[in-house]
Amino acid sequence: MKKPYKRLAIPYMAWLYIFALLPILVMVFLSFVKTDGLDFEGIKFSLNNFKQLSESSTLVAFRDSLWISVTSALISAVFGYLVAYKIYRSHISNKFIIVSILILPMWCNILLRTEALGNVFQEHNILSDLLSRIGIIYSLNIRGTYPAVIIGLVLTYMPYMILPIYNALEKIDPALEEAASDLGMTDLQKFYKVVLPLSFKGVVTGSIMTLLPCLSGFAIPEILGSGNIVMIGNVINSMYLDMNYNIGSLLGIIIVVVITLAVFLINKIDKDGDMLI
Amino acid sequence: MNIFLLIGIFTLLFVSISVLEEFLKHYKLMKAYEGKNIARVEDYGYKDHYLLKRLWKSFSSILVVLIAFGLYFSIIIIFLQSINSSSIVTSWSGATFKWYLNMFSNKSFNNAIIHTFTVSILATIISTVLGTLIAVGLFYSSKRIREHILLLNNFPILNADIVTGISLMLIFSSLITIDPYFFGLKTMLLAHIYFCIPYVILNVLNKMKDLSQNVVDASFDLGLNPFKTLIRVILPALKSGIFAGAILAFTMSYDDFVISYYTTGNGYDNLSIWIYSSMGRKSLSPVVYAFSIIVIIVCLLVLIASLFIHKKKGAKK
Repeated sequence: MKKPYKRLAIPYMAWLYIFALLPILVMVFLSFVKTDGLDFEGIKFSLNNFKQLSESSTLVAFRDSLWISVTSALISAVFGYLVAYKIYRSHISNKFIIVSILILPMWCNILLRTEALGNVFQEHNILSDLLSRIGIIYSLNIRGTYPAVIIGLVLTYMPYMILPIYNALEKIDPALEEAASDLGMTDLQKFYKVVLPLSFKGVVTGSIMTLLPCLSGFAIPEILGSGNIVMIGNVINSMYLDMNYNIGSLLGIIIVVVITLAVFLINKIDKDGDMLI
Repeated sequence: MNIFLLIGIFTLLFVSISVLEEFLKHYKLMKAYEGKNIARVEDYGYKDHYLLKRLWKSFSSILVVLIAFGLYFSIIIIFLQSINSSSIVTSWSGATFKWYLNMFSNKSFNNAIIHTFTVSILATIISTVLGTLIAVGLFYSSKRIREHILLLNNFPILNADIVTGISLMLIFSSLITIDPYFFGLKTMLLAHIYFCIPYVILNVLNKMKDLSQNVVDASFDLGLNPFKTLIRVILPALKSGIFAGAILAFTMSYDDFVISYYTTGNGYDNLSIWIYSSMGRKSLSPVVYAFSIIVIIVCLLVLIASLFIHKKKGAKK
């Protein structure tokens, strides 16, 4: 029987075209012209924006964002897999509890959490003051360095890694592992020949979900890097605050290209979108 | 005593005790078998690696505990800061509850809280209703349209917050000539609806697959019109998916900073923007720590209550 609900989805397509695709075209247009803020009076075509790309400050920002976010995603992948695997093995079948525990910290504002971490990364802080009274030394003077930013990113975005991996692990049929045991595989062989390949989908999705916010975020590097570490998100943000929309848009477009690749990749490995939730 | 040394010693102690325990267990077993004519798999070349397994098991348990601690570490620090009687975060000067008692004495902070909840609740309601309808529509659409929309649907989820924020700002600023006070509640609400809908769609669509089509067909055969079928048959079956989507949407909306930062205007600050600007002025009042802790505690209580209800329901069955 024909269902009449088809029409419900069509307006959403228009909505997505307006809010998701149209602005990107505007940004492409803005990156090829020279305007004064968003004032199109004295508009003229110019390729001067591309010169900014070869400047050392932008290149350093690109290099830093790239290696910081890749390192953070790798660390999250290793530890996130461990946590997801432990949850999978622990027979906690109530998925609602697992998801809730992982997203509970999000109920505290991300900026506050980052600022709290930043405070503890300073030489004098509330924790060292408290611990020193019971004779324990705690000093971690790393605020403003790369490790501080990486620790901050890993702790903030780890849940986005754990959830897809857990979703993938949960879908593995236990009979497969039993079969592997019966065929004489050791536990280690069972892990890397059966479990790991079957959950690889989750690892890829999780890596993309952590890599992208790490790559483009500006709040965490700004707070934990205390001005020493400039990532590409910070550059874009400062460009837009200075009303320099052209260069800001050009840098934004570069991020959009990376993200579009990621969207296609996720769509390829995960047709129904059931890894993302 | 250095705290990292302390953690290291504790880890080593825990791991070695558990390994020792395993070894003793194995040793006792070997003793029991001695002299008896019992065949064991080890006699046929099977290696159990029991010590290695135990070593890994206890080590990875400690690692998981440390990671869980790390995820909640900042909350613990925020809690400490919220009961610190001085507003200076670098030193401890006695416990107090005054920040909890004076939580709502700061007017701009109150406004920020009201704005946050207005936007989040409205965005959640609107995006849940729209997202559910769209998901039902998507399920019955042709494969080509469904895949096309789902591909675009990943964009708001995966796109960088800063790019989404800027994109929406560019679109909204083209409307500023019609309504000079457009920026503010309206823009922020639209932006939040934009990035909340995809989460609802994915959750509902996932549940939709479990819905038996025969039930829907039966409802049509019995003469219910499409609207009534939607309300009485389809939506009740999707209840848990809709609920999960709404919770996720509310969390995302409540926690968002960057997109709100770019789409707000005319002094319409939400909590994140208020915190960001206070941090810039180095004048962050501890009342915001107290507020965050209260929110976390309320969430925890709701979680525990829902688990309790869940358990009771299960027992009844």
